[in-house]
Amino acid sequence: MFLGRVVGRLWASRQAAGLAGRKLLLVRPETAAGGEAARLVVAVDGLAAGPGDRVIVAHGSRVRDLTVGVDVADKDIVIGIVDGHHLDAGGADSVGSVDRRR
Amino acid sequence: MILARVIGEVWATRRDPRLARAKLLVVRPHAIYEPAFATRHLVATDDVDAGVGDDVVICLGAPARASLGSDDTPVDAAVLGVVDRVELSAEAQTAPGAAPGIRRALGVPDGAGHARGEPASSARRGPSGEGSGTL
Repeated sequence: MFLGRVVGRLWASRQAAGLAGRKLLLVRPETAAGGEAARLVVAVDGLAAGPGDRVIVAHGSRVRDLTVGVDVADKDIVIGIVDGHHLDAGGADSVGSVDRRR
Repeated sequence: MILARVIGEVWATRRDPRLARAKLLVVRPHAIYEPAFATRHLVATDDVDAGVGDDVVICLGAPARASLGSDDTPVDAAVLGVVDRVELSAEAQTAPGAAPGIRRALGVPDGAGHARGEPASSARRGPSGEGSGTL
């Protein structure tokens, strides 16, 4: 799983049947130092998350089967909405706060 | 499996009900895995009572679910063990990207050109300001 922030929603009028009726969220993964990754992930909302929420996203077909159903065409699923988290300052520093991929 | 350091905890009231009892940790995979983890962190369930500052072994996927007792928990990463000691070859210790935190926290003898050894007694809660840079 990873931590990310919901930065928006996504709608598509033409889409695969496996996405019909599913709420799609744009999630920007966080780096461990509290920064943000460069790429976005489109995740299916298994709870009731919305823009601005910090969420936990899990990946995989089994996770999908257990949460939103076997017929969904996405393997990134929001499984938790974060109330708070504590990061050890030293540990976070040593992750490298600069994302070199940007 | 992946060697990682626990750097934090996460709390989430609204979560999948099958995760209700799971403790969630934020872990940082050691530098040797860095290219594979764009987020530089993972959230993993913890069944072995690891704490912030511990080096741990993580596994991903189906084995992670199996470690929780069944395959019916929607998670993809779990802490399987807390690392007591790691031995690295001199070559591995001095290679760019080698996990500096492992040497520091676990008191493995320093390789050439490194002077970061600390007594093992301070291993569990290492001070900040160490082990930085290679990521």
